[in-house]
Amino acid sequence: MTSPALTETAVWNALRRVVDPELDCNIVDLGLVYGVAIDGARVRVTMTLTTPGCPMHESLCAGVQRALLNLDGVEDADVELVWYPPWHPAMMSDAARARIHARFGG
Amino acid sequence: MAVSLHPSGAPDPATAALADRVAPSVTLPLRFMLAGLAALFLGMCGLVARPDLLAAYHYNQHIIALTHLFVLGWLGSVVMGATYQLVPVALETRLWSERLARWHFAIHLISVAGMVWMFWVWNMKQVGHFGSLFALGVGLFIWNLARTLRRAPRRTVTGIAIAAALGWLAAAILFGLAIAAYKCTYDSETGLATAVGVRSLVSGLRNLARYMARFDPIAAMHAHAHLGAVGFFTLLIVGVSYKLVPMFALSAVQRPRRAALSLALLNAGLLGAFFSVLLRSPLKPLFALVTVGGLAVYGRELLAILRARKRAALGGAVATFLTGVALLIPVSALALVLSWPGLPLNTFTGQLENLYGVLGLLGFVTLAVIGMLYKIVPFLAWFGAYSRHVGLARVPAFGEMYAARLQRFGRWSYLAGLFVVSAGILASNAPLVRAGALALVLSVGSLLINMGQVLRHWVRPQVGAPLSAQPANVSAP
Repeated sequence: MTSPALTETAVWNALRRVVDPELDCNIVDLGLVYGVAIDGARVRVTMTLTTPGCPMHESLCAGVQRALLNLDGVEDADVELVWYPPWHPAMMSDAARARIHARFGG
Repeated sequence: MAVSLHPSGAPDPATAALADRVAPSVTLPLRFMLAGLAALFLGMCGLVARPDLLAAYHYNQHIIALTHLFVLGWLGSVVMGATYQLVPVALETRLWSERLARWHFAIHLISVAGMVWMFWVWNMKQVGHFGSLFALGVGLFIWNLARTLRRAPRRTVTGIAIAAALGWLAAAILFGLAIAAYKCTYDSETGLATAVGVRSLVSGLRNLARYMARFDPIAAMHAHAHLGAVGFFTLLIVGVSYKLVPMFALSAVQRPRRAALSLALLNAGLLGAFFSVLLRSPLKPLFALVTVGGLAVYGRELLAILRARKRAALGGAVATFLTGVALLIPVSALALVLSWPGLPLNTFTGQLENLYGVLGLLGFVTLAVIGMLYKIVPFLAWFGAYSRHVGLARVPAFGEMYAARLQRFGRWSYLAGLFVVSAGILASNAPLVRAGALALVLSVGSLLINMGQVLRHWVRPQVGAPLSAQPANVSAP
């Protein structure tokens, strides 16, 4: 049974705490998170990175796990890193595009 | 790839991540980079102290010493450190042996310092000894990287470029040692009867020296310089940029065949250029043209990558890198002019050769490396200081770890300094070279201050408040 405290909204909000330091934008708005599955106290996140061989690989995956385990009701966190479909800048939210353009110009 | 974590009795997420990590620990590349920055500052101060070295022809002990300080001390240290960091990450594999890389660093430091010093006092026998030690370190580097490349899950244009660059590096070192052997005076092997191994070695070196005597020493030095500068540094920069520029610009290689063609032309051009320079062959312009053609194809692909980018402005680091790449235009033009067999051998031609070397090494390669340093060092410091806080607390972005204004000042003062040094070289005017070198020292000083700021994060992390209530950098859910 899903813990009452554990909702998809809470999980997505937790994932928004994980920020790519190169682009200074969270991974949800960057479009890196493909899916979230909650099974009782276990959360499984399917995500990608902007490019295979991204140097932030370890930090972001571990950061996702930390953010999830910091949530009430989460006892187990899985991160599945996938390369299909490949990430594309069109996957960024309008807010992310606005943030990146505001930060880096253009 | 799935990463699972069980909090009860399981390791901390950071520990789990470490178990899965592909990159070596941050201290390994950082020590190479700090050594490189120290060599860069020292070298620039050397130019201020002895501007006459660039205002006259370059075949003398002091300019050779200074060149090796820049090439091996600055560029070699940084590029090798960056390679240890980037190759495993970019090719999605693990470094074969971090321990071997640490041994390499110790050998590299001692051998480069010894070589530069011995070049300065022109003790070629000791140059040969320190050079052999350097070759041992490079041997460890190549062995380690070759084993790492073999582990890579797929062949990419970047991986092929790195493999070719390692081959050219080995060729450059071996040829450099052969030049050193030619310039040495060896004791007679007949007096070494009790030590058969040493006797054979000395005998072999004497034979090598006799063989090298058939080549014009200046042509041999130029051929050696091209093996290192084009074969190692240029190929590595070109190959790695096919991975990193799309990564930073949010783009992709547009035509993989065009990227492969650029590497093929560079390799073919360099092979021909090496022999035509060494033998003073009239075919020099042909191979110069092939090499420049490779660079032109590279430039075209780079432009296509940048045109397709989704990140409008690229930031100071990539701008510095691209400024360096843009300097390939005058460098290529000079290469074509200097390859012309009918060029008169006068003072001005000699100064053009100086300018070619300076714009190539202190212009193109140095600016490209400084640009990448502004990406790599913040990443290393950030990884060491903040990686374990991601998802739990507010941590700085890379761009917040140093002063962007100081970076811009560094880029423009470097370009101004390079311009004035170039004018001083063409006019054979030592005071003008000194004025330009002072601007270069200022620029390098600003780089050191910024790198110091970045490393301060590593020593004293500035972790923000815990992210328990508010998501970071977020739009409305």
